[in-house]
Amino acid sequence: MLTYIIRRILATMPVMAVVALFVFSLLYIAPGDPAAVIAGDQATPADVERIRQSLGLDRPFLVRFGEWVWQILHADLGTSIFTNLPVAAMIAQRIEPTLSLMAVTLVFSVSIAVPIGVVAAWKADSILDRAIMAFAVLGFSVPVFVIGYVLAYVFALKLDWLPVQGYTPLSEGLWPWLKNLIMPAVALGCIYVALIARITRAAMLEVLQQDYIRTARAKGMGQTTILFIHALKNAAVPIATVIGIGIAHLIGGAVVTETVFAIPGVGRLTVDAILRRDYPVIQGIVLLFSFLYVFINLLVDLLYTVLDPRIRY
Amino acid sequence: MTATSHPRASDVTVDPSAPPGIAVASDLPDILPAVKPRGGLAGFIWRYPAIAIGSALLLAMLLIAVFAPWIGTVDPTALAPARRTREPSAAFWFGTDMLGRDIYSRVLYGTRVSLTVGFAVATLASLAGLAIGLVSGFIRWADGFIMRVMDGLMSIPPILLAIALMALTRGSVGNVITAITIAEIPRVSRLVRSVVLSLREQPYVDAAVAAGTRTPMIILRHILPNTVAPMTVQATYVCASAMVIEAILSFIGAGTPPTIPSWGNIMAEGRALWQVKPYIVFFPAIFLSVTVLAVNLLGDGLRDALDPRMVKRL
Amino acid sequence: MDRRAFLKSAATAGALAAAGGLATPAISQRAAARTLRFVPQADLANFDPIWGTQYVVRNASAMVWDTLYGVDENLQPRRQMVEAEEVSTDGLTWTFRLRPGLKFHDGEPVLAKDVVASLNRWSARDSLGLMIKALQDDLLAVDDRTFRWVLKRPFSKMLLALGKNSTPACFIMPARIAATDPFKQITEYVGSGPMRFVRSEWVPGSKAVFEKFADYTPRQEPHSWLAGGKQMLVDRIEWIVMPDQATASAALQNGEIDWWENPIADLVPVLKKNRNIMVDIADPLGNIGCFRMNHLYPPFNDVRARRAVLMAMSQEDYMRALVGDDPALWKPLPGFFTPGTPLYTEEGGEILKGPRDLDAAKKLLAQSGYAGQPVTCVIAQDQPITKPQGDITADLLKRLGMNVDFVATDWGTVGARRAVKAPPGQGGWQMFHTWFAGGDCINPAAPWLRASGDKAWFGWPDVPEVEAQVSAWFEAKTLDEEKAAIRKLNKAALESVVYAPTGFFLQYQAWRRNVGGIVKGPLPFFWRVSKSA
Repeated sequence: MLTYIIRRILATMPVMAVVALFVFSLLYIAPGDPAAVIAGDQATPADVERIRQSLGLDRPFLVRFGEWVWQILHADLGTSIFTNLPVAAMIAQRIEPTLSLMAVTLVFSVSIAVPIGVVAAWKADSILDRAIMAFAVLGFSVPVFVIGYVLAYVFALKLDWLPVQGYTPLSEGLWPWLKNLIMPAVALGCIYVALIARITRAAMLEVLQQDYIRTARAKGMGQTTILFIHALKNAAVPIATVIGIGIAHLIGGAVVTETVFAIPGVGRLTVDAILRRDYPVIQGIVLLFSFLYVFINLLVDLLYTVLDPRIRY
Repeated sequence: MTATSHPRASDVTVDPSAPPGIAVASDLPDILPAVKPRGGLAGFIWRYPAIAIGSALLLAMLLIAVFAPWIGTVDPTALAPARRTREPSAAFWFGTDMLGRDIYSRVLYGTRVSLTVGFAVATLASLAGLAIGLVSGFIRWADGFIMRVMDGLMSIPPILLAIALMALTRGSVGNVITAITIAEIPRVSRLVRSVVLSLREQPYVDAAVAAGTRTPMIILRHILPNTVAPMTVQATYVCASAMVIEAILSFIGAGTPPTIPSWGNIMAEGRALWQVKPYIVFFPAIFLSVTVLAVNLLGDGLRDALDPRMVKRL
Repeated sequence: MDRRAFLKSAATAGALAAAGGLATPAISQRAAARTLRFVPQADLANFDPIWGTQYVVRNASAMVWDTLYGVDENLQPRRQMVEAEEVSTDGLTWTFRLRPGLKFHDGEPVLAKDVVASLNRWSARDSLGLMIKALQDDLLAVDDRTFRWVLKRPFSKMLLALGKNSTPACFIMPARIAATDPFKQITEYVGSGPMRFVRSEWVPGSKAVFEKFADYTPRQEPHSWLAGGKQMLVDRIEWIVMPDQATASAALQNGEIDWWENPIADLVPVLKKNRNIMVDIADPLGNIGCFRMNHLYPPFNDVRARRAVLMAMSQEDYMRALVGDDPALWKPLPGFFTPGTPLYTEEGGEILKGPRDLDAAKKLLAQSGYAGQPVTCVIAQDQPITKPQGDITADLLKRLGMNVDFVATDWGTVGARRAVKAPPGQGGWQMFHTWFAGGDCINPAAPWLRASGDKAWFGWPDVPEVEAQVSAWFEAKTLDEEKAAIRKLNKAALESVVYAPTGFFLQYQAWRRNVGGIVKGPLPFFWRVSKSA
């Protein structure tokens, strides 16, 4: 098991290297650079050139890439061009809201999607099944920001139950923290619910055909026990896989949600950085996201051993 | 014999010409009620509702896209700031936007853009993913490398990748298609690769290789037919995803240029006003949701109909 | 609190900030009556008002740093940090004496050497400052409270330069910070103004926090824009960045924020209906929209093509697209100077007035030799002012029969591309849009009015008559002389279309009823703003 973990961690290196090279090259060929934005309207082209030189943006590709890789290996993500703060510090400031949003969304989605997927599989091909699946697909189809705006209008402006925007850190209390996250999590979670419900139903369908389920039923086991304890555990592997792969979509969706609900998270930071051409920040965040994605998928793979003892590394 | 009535012994008639003691098959009544499969279109809809509804809606959208100039009322790009932000009325069925353009016509024309983006991305991503997946599945030394690259691409959130690519180039439909395609290729290539890997071990493929069949023939004869079904289903999901990503790109401000009406554009322009003039966001949102729903339903239906075992891979 | 305790707490705060312990974001819902929550026009991404010239940086800096002079609501420079000034009879020597009791936020007194260092840094970046520097013989600190600027030729606009609100404004920083290269960012934010910048709570892109500096001694006169006494009636100001207009509107209605710098005009009706919200014009000096054509390459290197566009364009279309249906929010602008200011003139503006003649414009365009080449228009989609302007222009050019190459991009790319002097097919451009604060267009000190060819602002117009009149304005001794020069300048600039003004427009600001003391001005002024429970 340990060798498996180590092998997997080593295997992430080339992936991260690919990501790093890709992102860096992308930014290198990008037209438009921060020097012009920084210099402002009153600057002359000579001013812009001076700023560009002072930021080191006029040096060749390999030099800049090499320098960045060297920094990474020393756990230094560089300094933002615009704010002059270390990228790592900027990310650390804003990681809590994003992680909170993702965690709450995950909990919400899984706790809704898995049960309805199970029920849909149990009552396969019935009206209930089709209704549930149609409902799930609907969650897939309406854009995140539309759901967000509608929720904000109804629950914040009209009913005044929840705040429209913002983020309260966990340190200020559980309920205030949750209050700010409920609507964003629901808006973001709709897609996830659809994905997970679908895969749960499909995996459960397959499991429910198995002989041992028929045996359990014949033995007189209660329906709930069969469904949730025997069948679900066996169906868990593909469900966990989808949850892992879906993290990438969750991160992407968080970008929009953070804009609509003014949550000061990493998603918004990334979009702002991209539009401003703040290269160090963009590079640092994309690298971090990939790492997060790879790490979570590693966790999912390790989770398989818990869910299915037949899988062993 | 009606399906609902129960057979009775008195219903049995015996053919006198038959040898005694033997009942000819035609004499025997059907003990079980006949399940008459409903024929024709009604039957198809009953058996595959998802495919039916999905394709019907999609067909409607396609017709709208093709006939937009005729069903539309005015030129969708005609500006008239004097009559901006008017509510829906008899003259402007969906109202006007911030520059006085007719939203109804813009939404109709927007169908073209969204469908184009969706289909183009689905096709291109499928073709590219097919090529990469085949190469990866067959050429072992390339497999590791290619899959690492694909993993790397997949680990970057698709929206961020698309925004970054759009920020590199100017806004145009072509660039939007390219950006989203690049983000979607990894999924398709993984799928094709897994099909190839599992098929490579099949006895009949082994036999073909042993018989000296060249690789292109093997691909054509054995692999491709097996990839068609899962790839078609995957293509529909890619199409739906592409349409939503295009809307989100426009929402962020990195999507199709404003000279071309697209649902994402219309929503992005109207988003600041959604509390006072909700119709600007509302109508394109409905069209987008219906179209994406249609494509998703189609995908689900196809998947269920073609091969339930595909589900685990998708 | 005595000075020692203050220094100790400042040192601790400094140590915390230095340890890199940046705060986690928190939009506190327990808003004390002494905290003002403000939504600025843009994100405060960096905080060096000399290095980065965005308006939002200047607005925040006005709280944190003080200036030697400050313009009042009549655009007259008045003394702020300076107690008295003296000009020699030949106009070459300016001697200034500072007020007593001025302190920096670290407790150190403001000395003349700090002022000299700040002036050196500022004059390296500002257009008026550069002009003074070109004439400079010596700039020195005579003693702790006196400094002297000696010139080779008289410069009548000295006080205006030191007190103006246009960026970069002349903010006074400690000498060691002002010693930073003007092309690099400062890293410490020790100010001289009434509010301290709380670096430890700064989350770029999301929040900036300012706290009252207890040891600031305001002047005794009543306040008027950047002049007079700057008393702070709130203890803490939080700037909360909200990129989404709909979210900000909902937050203001919900009471989650107190003051919104510029809501778009379409949202104002719903805010006005709310009994707890007050709405008024933000800045009587307004804004001037514009687009600039590239004078270096066809088709716009021919003045007839440029004038054809002016003949066909409708300023009403542009303004309605920007500010909506309320006619009180915009005015047509047949010139380049802000309506309502002393130098405003409409001389030469007939081409922009009256009914639009598209046919005559097309004829003129044909005469200029336009034969259907693509016209590259670079238009930023992420700015609420440039985007609608771009849409209207594309439509205008199409109706004129021109072949529009519409490059939809973001503000950063526009900023980079407009500096490129290459031909349009090779990365250059033929047209871009922008806008200017009205407060920056009150006189021809603005770089965008100059027509000195290669050294001019993007577009590189070359009109000797305009340059001659700008010099005349600088030399002018009386207001009448200035006005005469400006009239000739306006006419010449419109005849050769230095750039095309799309109109003059105003924007709103909105605040909750329990906030008092908000005034109209070229930037949001936080002094004497109070908040009741």
